[in-house]
Amino acid sequence: MPELMLDDPDGTLVMLRDSVTGFAARFPGAKAMRERRGRGGTMDPLIWSAMAEAGWIGLLLPEECGGAGLGLREQAVLSEALGRALIAEPTGTASVFAATLLGGASPGAERSRLAAGVASGEMVAVPAWTSGAKPVVARSVNGSIALSGETRFVDAARAATDFLVVAQDADGVMLLSVAADADGVTISERVGVDGSALATISFSDCAVPADRVLSRANRSEELLRQAILHTRLALAAELTGLASKALELTIAYTSDRVQFGKPIGSFQAIQHRLVDMWIEAEFAAAAVVNAVDSLQADDVDTAELAVLAAKARAGEAAFSICRRAVHLHGAMGYTDECDIGLYLKRAINLNAMLGQPEQLRLEFVERESGYRRGRT
Amino acid sequence: MASDWNDIPDEEFRSIFRTWVDQNCPSHLRYMRKQRPLFNEVAVWYHALAAKGWLAPTWPRQYGGMGLSAAKHMIYVEEWGRLGCPRIPDHGIGLVGPLLIEYGSEEQKAHYLPRILSGEHVWCQGYSEPNAGSDLASLQTSAVLDGDEFVVNGQKIWTTLAHCANWIFVLVRTERDAKVRQKGITVLLLDLTSPGVRVRPIANLRGEADFCEVFFDNVRVPLKNLVGKINEGWTVAKSVLGHERIFLGAPTRPEYALERLRRLADARGAFEDPAFMSRFARLRLDLYDLGSAFERYAKVLRAGGELGAGVSALKIFTTELYQRITEEMLTVAGEEARLADDLAAGDVEIDAMNLFLDSRSPAIFGGSNEIQRNILAKAVLRLPG
Ligand SMILES: Cc1cc2nc3c(=O)[nH]c(=O)nc-3n(C[C@H](O)[C@H](O)[C@H](O)COP(=O)(O)OP(=O)(O)OC[C@H]3O[C@@H](n4cnc5c(N)ncnc54)[C@H](O)[C@@H]3O)c2cc1C
Repeated sequence: MPELMLDDPDGTLVMLRDSVTGFAARFPGAKAMRERRGRGGTMDPLIWSAMAEAGWIGLLLPEECGGAGLGLREQAVLSEALGRALIAEPTGTASVFAATLLGGASPGAERSRLAAGVASGEMVAVPAWTSGAKPVVARSVNGSIALSGETRFVDAARAATDFLVVAQDADGVMLLSVAADADGVTISERVGVDGSALATISFSDCAVPADRVLSRANRSEELLRQAILHTRLALAAELTGLASKALELTIAYTSDRVQFGKPIGSFQAIQHRLVDMWIEAEFAAAAVVNAVDSLQADDVDTAELAVLAAKARAGEAAFSICRRAVHLHGAMGYTDECDIGLYLKRAINLNAMLGQPEQLRLEFVERESGYRRGRT
Repeated sequence: MASDWNDIPDEEFRSIFRTWVDQNCPSHLRYMRKQRPLFNEVAVWYHALAAKGWLAPTWPRQYGGMGLSAAKHMIYVEEWGRLGCPRIPDHGIGLVGPLLIEYGSEEQKAHYLPRILSGEHVWCQGYSEPNAGSDLASLQTSAVLDGDEFVVNGQKIWTTLAHCANWIFVLVRTERDAKVRQKGITVLLLDLTSPGVRVRPIANLRGEADFCEVFFDNVRVPLKNLVGKINEGWTVAKSVLGHERIFLGAPTRPEYALERLRRLADARGAFEDPAFMSRFARLRLDLYDLGSAFERYAKVLRAGGELGAGVSALKIFTTELYQRITEEMLTVAGEEARLADDLAAGDVEIDAMNLFLDSRSPAIFGGSNEIQRNILAKAVLRLPG
């Protein structure tokens, strides 16, 4: 089935793939997803710390911070493999996004503390950057910082030890860490389609010590941009992996399922549909590889276009492949017991994160050509 | 009360029906989130219709029905949908009633029909099996005659509402060696409270248990519960839908979904976006034209004609339009598409994810869309093979 094709001179990528396969045997993805749903969306600390132990959570963090010091090629392959195995942990945010922010934050005790904690799995630092009804604003008060406002769509909020909060201050954007149990922090959760929990976090005059600042204006905007870029790439890879696996499961199902005296996969109507799904997965994989290569070889603007294209392509492919996969499973696909529905739900979640395909495509065209979308 | 509803002009009938339903269908049951409420949840509405004599629109009046023509029946169904009335467990009314009226003995009619109307018997439909879905004729659940009883063994699956029903009409195999698989199939009426019956609900994608597995382990069924002739149940089973096949293609679901999409889009300001506007326009016109296509077949029925195989086109179009509309809802929802919950849109809640997931199933049941396309290819286009 389609997968990322990347040069692998020293075998690192093969090793990563193998280690995910081994991990999935210990922690089967579908089972973990169902259990997490049963727990009301809270992430399983056992799984997360095992992922940290494998070196995955701090994969992008520099070695001097306790990370693996690997790059986006490795991240893409890891995320793809996690997607295939349906290991539906908040890797995109609590690992890739967080590691990118921390990796680029101002050197200092706070950065070292968090980076080491995140890499080892002892801490869970969850980024909180999407503005809610009232954006998060930081004011200086007697040498400390007071935060007020609201941020939305925060993953794994109940498991977090710290939030990496993006706040507006007088100079622009500031990045700082806030202890999850600090006074003035309120977490309210909603159920995600894939059984995860998505939180809105409100800060009301939450006092944060000044030494928790991770970066100030100018630098923070750049960091955020980078974190979004890396996370979109990781999500695109994860979506590609899960799409490819959903296709594989559907080929297996339609090859086994006999109706009218033959496997339903022998009917041309079904074969053509599966072929179209394969083409979509193939293109998604190609788009992700293009983005990985571009991030290494090209200037930032070019690479950003490639990442927009990859996230749009992979998100659309995963959503469309999974929808059709459910249909091709017949009534079985419409049950909660059949895993294929979990792939669909996971695809919806990741596809809607950091931009749905249309939004990303419009952004691509605007950036490339300078055309802005007219509003009536 | 009219002696024959069919003598009243259509619009007058519509108005009489609509007024009464609007006054009598409890407001808490309107626009239910559940597609398939259990009997108890909608019992008041069921009994109110029965008391009024309006529970069974198509049954002849002598059996307690309204005796509506196809044309009047369509008005009944349209108004029901427009007023947001809940689906009632309707296998008794819609399937078993017509089945018995056409093929049942006088004794069976006298026994079962009143019990459907009173709600004493709640029915479900036992056709599909684990290995007999699209290929229904391959069903294996067996019934062997032993004196004046059948002994039934086997399993049904996807049986909607079996967990709230007390009767099931099942297709069973009474002859194994028939040359044509469609031969050797028999329809039985089976009491679900009989020893040897086990029902296991199955949760669906929306986390609701609407359908079930039903297991039969040496279940004894009296010979008198046979409908029609032994080994000739296939014709019986296939004929029950009749003109009601048109309702598989009714625009009800997409109509409702498009209205929800409109509200969501309104609340999100999506109509200011020309790209959304043009996608919405396509969906709107698809729905509009579905209305015209529906009318094309409805006219045939009104003129007293028979529906041809072409009516499958409606089922395909309406179920796929329903899917496209709910997919658009997830696009409009933006990042909120990640949520399982309903979405706030002004003063209403829009169940976008609920509808999206629900829209997966009508393309599968009632003859999947691929099977409908096969029917069209064969019966309408007369393609070889
Ligand atoms: C919500 C729901 C409620 C239901 N309620 C009931 C009920 O109350 N009673 C009951 O008896 N049954 C019920 N069913 C079962 C329904 O009738 C079957 O799901 C349907 O007949 C399809 O069978 P299957 O699920 O076994 O799919 P399969 O027949 O295994 O089909 C799997 C896939 O293959 C495709 N396919 C199959 N054959 C062909 C072909 N020849 N060419 C091309 N494609 C093909 C199908 O379209 C489908 O996409 C229900 C189903 C659902 C989803």
